Amino acid sequence: MSVLELPSTRAEAWRWADLGALSAAAAMAPVVRTEHEFLDLPGARLLFVDGVLDEAASTLGAVTFGEVAGSDHALGRHARAGWSLRLDSRTAADPVQIVHVATGAENHLAAEIVLADDAVGEVVETFVGAGWANRYTRTTLGRGARLMRSVRLLQPAGFVSLREEADIGEAASLVTTFLGAGGQGSRIDAQLNLTGEGAFAEYGGALLTSDTQAQECAVRVNHAQPNGSSRQVWRAVAAYRSRASLAAAVEVARHAQKTDGEQSLRGLLLHRTATVNLKPELEIFADDVKCAHGATVGELDQRALFYMQSRGIPRSRAQAILTHAFVADVLERIGNETVRAAFEGDADAWLDAAL
Amino acid sequence: MATKNAEAYAAVSKTYEWGFFSDIEQDFAPKGLSEDTVRYISAKKNEPEWMLDWRLKAYARWLEMETPDWSKLNIPPIDYQDAYYYAEPKAKPKLGSLDEVDPEILRVYEKLGIPIAEQKMLAGVEERDENGEPKRRVAVDAVFDSVSVATTFRKELEAAGVIFRSISEAIREYPDLVRKWLGKVVPQHDNYFATLNSAVFSDGTFVYIPEGVRCPMELSTYFRINAENTGQFERTLIVADKGSYVSYLEGCTAPMRDENQLHAAVVELVALDDAEIKYSTVQNWYPGDENGVGGIYNFVTKRALCQGKNSKVSWTQVETGSAVTWKYPSCVLAGENSVGEFYSVAVTNNRQQADTGTKMIHLGRGSRSTIVSKGISAGRSDNTYRGLVRVAPTAEGVRNFTQCDSLLLGDQCGAHTIPYIEVRNPSAQIEHEATTSKISEDQLFYAMSRGLDQEAAVALIVNGFAREVLQQLPMEFAVEAQKLLGISLEGSVG
Repeated sequence: MSVLELPSTRAEAWRWADLGALSAAAAMAPVVRTEHEFLDLPGARLLFVDGVLDEAASTLGAVTFGEVAGSDHALGRHARAGWSLRLDSRTAADPVQIVHVATGAENHLAAEIVLADDAVGEVVETFVGAGWANRYTRTTLGRGARLMRSVRLLQPAGFVSLREEADIGEAASLVTTFLGAGGQGSRIDAQLNLTGEGAFAEYGGALLTSDTQAQECAVRVNHAQPNGSSRQVWRAVAAYRSRASLAAAVEVARHAQKTDGEQSLRGLLLHRTATVNLKPELEIFADDVKCAHGATVGELDQRALFYMQSRGIPRSRAQAILTHAFVADVLERIGNETVRAAFEGDADAWLDAAL
Repeated sequence: MATKNAEAYAAVSKTYEWGFFSDIEQDFAPKGLSEDTVRYISAKKNEPEWMLDWRLKAYARWLEMETPDWSKLNIPPIDYQDAYYYAEPKAKPKLGSLDEVDPEILRVYEKLGIPIAEQKMLAGVEERDENGEPKRRVAVDAVFDSVSVATTFRKELEAAGVIFRSISEAIREYPDLVRKWLGKVVPQHDNYFATLNSAVFSDGTFVYIPEGVRCPMELSTYFRINAENTGQFERTLIVADKGSYVSYLEGCTAPMRDENQLHAAVVELVALDDAEIKYSTVQNWYPGDENGVGGIYNFVTKRALCQGKNSKVSWTQVETGSAVTWKYPSCVLAGENSVGEFYSVAVTNNRQQADTGTKMIHLGRGSRSTIVSKGISAGRSDNTYRGLVRVAPTAEGVRNFTQCDSLLLGDQCGAHTIPYIEVRNPSAQIEHEATTSKISEDQLFYAMSRGLDQEAAVALIVNGFAREVLQQLPMEFAVEAQKLLGISLEGSVG
């Protein structure tokens, strides 16, 4: 696929996209396949190498394969076939672990997660290797279903683009946490529809950027029914000449009264040459809603640093502690302790390298 | 849901007080837009060669540009060939007294509420009555369709060294000054509408405040579109030299017409070291009727360059009119410790659409900006705040505070907030707050229990909501703006 088929940065929703890095990643020469260990969790394990399942290293569990109903999105339309997780009503499955290894050039894979009424699922995804990994994930949650997803981007180079579309039914809950702690460029492009009354969506994460890397999220949450609530909590830490962009939008339809939408976008700049872009967007057509958004950008609080130094903590350690606290906010939302510990470990490793 | 709220507002048919139009003899340029139109306008103004070249260059650029489509506005394609780009009231001989002035023009001023003493001057009455000294010390420049009709208080301003001219006069009388600054803040090719304006701008205001002068009175311009099918393209350029201060007011009205009229203005402000410019706008172009028929398309490019250290520019706007508003008064804060402020109240009712906000571009060390935006949507309207705060890597110690509040009256309208924040310096402190709400039943109930009727209670609450912005307006404008808010929202929900 040519990068020319993607919208240009002149399009408003792609303003901060790093399409140069994307096309460079797609043209990357093959690299040696990196190994990545699964977390110590029960349940299905899927290893994809350049979007192809490595059957020897995988246990499928409830996961099946096939065509996934396509998306017409600029990124999503390139992924047609992939894995599918379907859970019957009132079942709770063990976590599904997926590791995506890229070895240069581009690869596309689709996924479908369908939870029937009151089903409970958990999915953990990890991206490693180099090249352009493009994923399309379609999620449908029935009444009262609950899905917890955790996704970490740990590719040392290349680009990861994720197109996510979700329909969240009545009283269903979707919690997704991202961690971008690799050296790759990324774009997390999501459209969440709260199609049932009282639906809940929490969608957020931390993007840690360094060197000349650019990572961004572009998320739209649409409240189509009354009494829904959504939380978008994103943290960006940018070092050296990197750029982190957070664009989060809440749309409230005409009759989606009593909606509670919350956006918290915060950026931390570690160096003068780094950039953080924020766009907390609200589009409201109903008159009885509570939508709050907060956005801040800045450096570490000098007074807090001074206080910690006065207590005998070296400056670099103090910086690390404060930055860790800044990021920890969003990772705390991960319910599974093993997964949370792994994500926190990745974030700490990134901070140690950057500070 | 909104039923209770709805009951609160009786459906009163909305009226547009300034919707009269005057039958005044006018000279038109031939309909349509071509290079000839540009030449016609330039010739009509006796402009020097460089000005014509400048316009033609802009026109050539404009032909290659595309209409911007990123705003949250639904605008049918505009036929630029179906409008007059120049209309001028027919030249009249110098007049000796008010009686000789075209009574139609006088009546217009009377309806606009311009004081009699100023009316005389606007109408071109040479003689000045000793006792006719106006009480309100506001110098007025009135732009009627395409042409600046008259400018008052010229002598007194000249004594202070202030140049307050229509821009076409300034091009002839102060070519060097105009040439130095025209298009410096808003370049010709800045955007589609600014480029169109650069090609066909017909008149506007030029103000120069010399070093160390505090302008002795407030300067004011009234813009009025009168003729049918006419576009108004005014251009305002204000230069405040070192240590000077000026407060400038701008008011706009237009008659009621069935078709849409185009208004594409460019305003450029330059503040040098320690200078301060306060620019206030009450925009009340005809908004169209309740079905969205007619109304002005208001595409305005306003930008200030705070070039000097400690310079300050403050934009205050009350936007109640226009079918479509596309307007982002901005500050380029290049000077050290320069200050940019933006206070806005935007009201939309019926089918009006507004996409408005500001840009604060921080380039200088220690520059600060404040943004307070209050959006009020009613009827079936859409009201969008779109703002940008950008901090350049060189701008150390920047502070910004942004607050955008939206008020929804009724359940058929929309309120949107699209703030962009782009920070490239870690020492910046950027804060952004936003809320969206409706008028609370408690407040309404309380106000009504004290004997206010529904309309008055709503007006009271809305005025309270917009208080922080209205406080920034000069006295006369504040009163006018408060009344406007009330009128604009009459019968907003039913």
